[in-house]
Amino acid sequence: MPLQFRPILEQWPYLLGGAWLSLEMAALAFACGMLIGLVCAALLQLGPPYLRRLITAYVTFATNTPQLVQIYFLFFGLPEVGVILPPLAAALVGMTFNAGAYLCEILRAGMLSVRSAELEAADVLGFSRIQVLRYVMIPHVMKVMFPSLSNQFIIMTLGTSMASVFGVEELTGRTMSLGAETYLSVEAFIVAAGLYLTISLVATFMLIVYGRVIYRIKARML
Amino acid sequence: MPTPAQSLSYYDGRLLLIGLLTTLGLAVAGCGAGFLFGFAVAILRTTRSRAMAPLRAALFVYCLLLRRIPFLVTLLLVFFACQSTNAGLSTFAVALITVGLIATAYLSEIIRGGLESVHAGQWQAARALNFTHWQALRYVIVPQAWRVILPPAVGFLVMFIKDTALASQIGVMELTSAGKVLGNKGLPSMLVYGMILLLYFLISYPLTRLGRRAESKLAFARNR
Repeated sequence: MPLQFRPILEQWPYLLGGAWLSLEMAALAFACGMLIGLVCAALLQLGPPYLRRLITAYVTFATNTPQLVQIYFLFFGLPEVGVILPPLAAALVGMTFNAGAYLCEILRAGMLSVRSAELEAADVLGFSRIQVLRYVMIPHVMKVMFPSLSNQFIIMTLGTSMASVFGVEELTGRTMSLGAETYLSVEAFIVAAGLYLTISLVATFMLIVYGRVIYRIKARML
Repeated sequence: MPTPAQSLSYYDGRLLLIGLLTTLGLAVAGCGAGFLFGFAVAILRTTRSRAMAPLRAALFVYCLLLRRIPFLVTLLLVFFACQSTNAGLSTFAVALITVGLIATAYLSEIIRGGLESVHAGQWQAARALNFTHWQALRYVIVPQAWRVILPPAVGFLVMFIKDTALASQIGVMELTSAGKVLGNKGLPSMLVYGMILLLYFLISYPLTRLGRRAESKLAFARNR
């Protein structure tokens, strides 16, 4: 049976809308996860011991269980205690929960990579705290973290496909509906795969350019 | 309200056990196949001859594609493709094929990174001693590279066990599906999914620890 792409490609605005939702979800979950990760990483360095243990437990748990089952728990489990999350919210909360843990690990590794001698040197040169942050810490830390952060963002963009399981109409969800309507599932998923490939390649390229221009990262990324 | 009749029975436990074994089987078989084929892919990509250039390009595209298409999309694509060719494969076989394809792509990148981490001088030294390409790989490069390969490979296995949860979407009876079945049976979802999370954790956590230990040990041995 020859592949028929025309009925799928005719629906391009529908699919692109789904792809846009995927990107939005990834960006939102990444931003919220970054916030959680920053707080957790900072508390791991400075917080009281019991808080440190709590955060370690959170990171260990979140990184050792599947995101899909975490979202299942949020979506099907929480209504039993009266918290009813709509599919999109459940997916986003699950992704944020997961991203927070991974980003915490990345940020912690970055913070550990700052040498105290560098900070002392900046102090000797009479840098203010803001200047130390701006000229010593961020350039140094970002060189270590930026590739991992970019990688995490790409992984999360691809991971949004999981939300389709709960009926969110993002790219994979719309592809499933389109495949079911037209009986052309194979073609629909080939188109979706192409879209995911394009999105991730464009995002990678943009992140590489950004890293080169802003943080002068020369190393090959991703 | 959960009634006493809705507590876990012997058969529920059996279902969970089967699910657990299926999950482990998928991950281990996928990673095993991935390691085997990934090694072949990585080694073919280290070749330098011009005759191999089209093959190298094809393998490069293969690795690029499968690492940039979400697991779920690849899974459904393989699933529908198998369906439309009337191959008559079980959903488990479909999941196994997908898992193997994806693991090959990821592990070949890890293995290639390991092979490239060996200093170029080692290749030159091997050539100076009149080793062939294969002899150099077998006796010089791989013995040094595996220390670099092993820790991220374990990390990948841990990630992969969690990713196989997606196989529940095409109806493979693994751990997540078992949880879904128990949930549909009327057991409290919180209990069921909490239990599933715990089971995944119990598989994944020791492996994470093992990977970390291997990493610190091998890193020490490498920096001598």
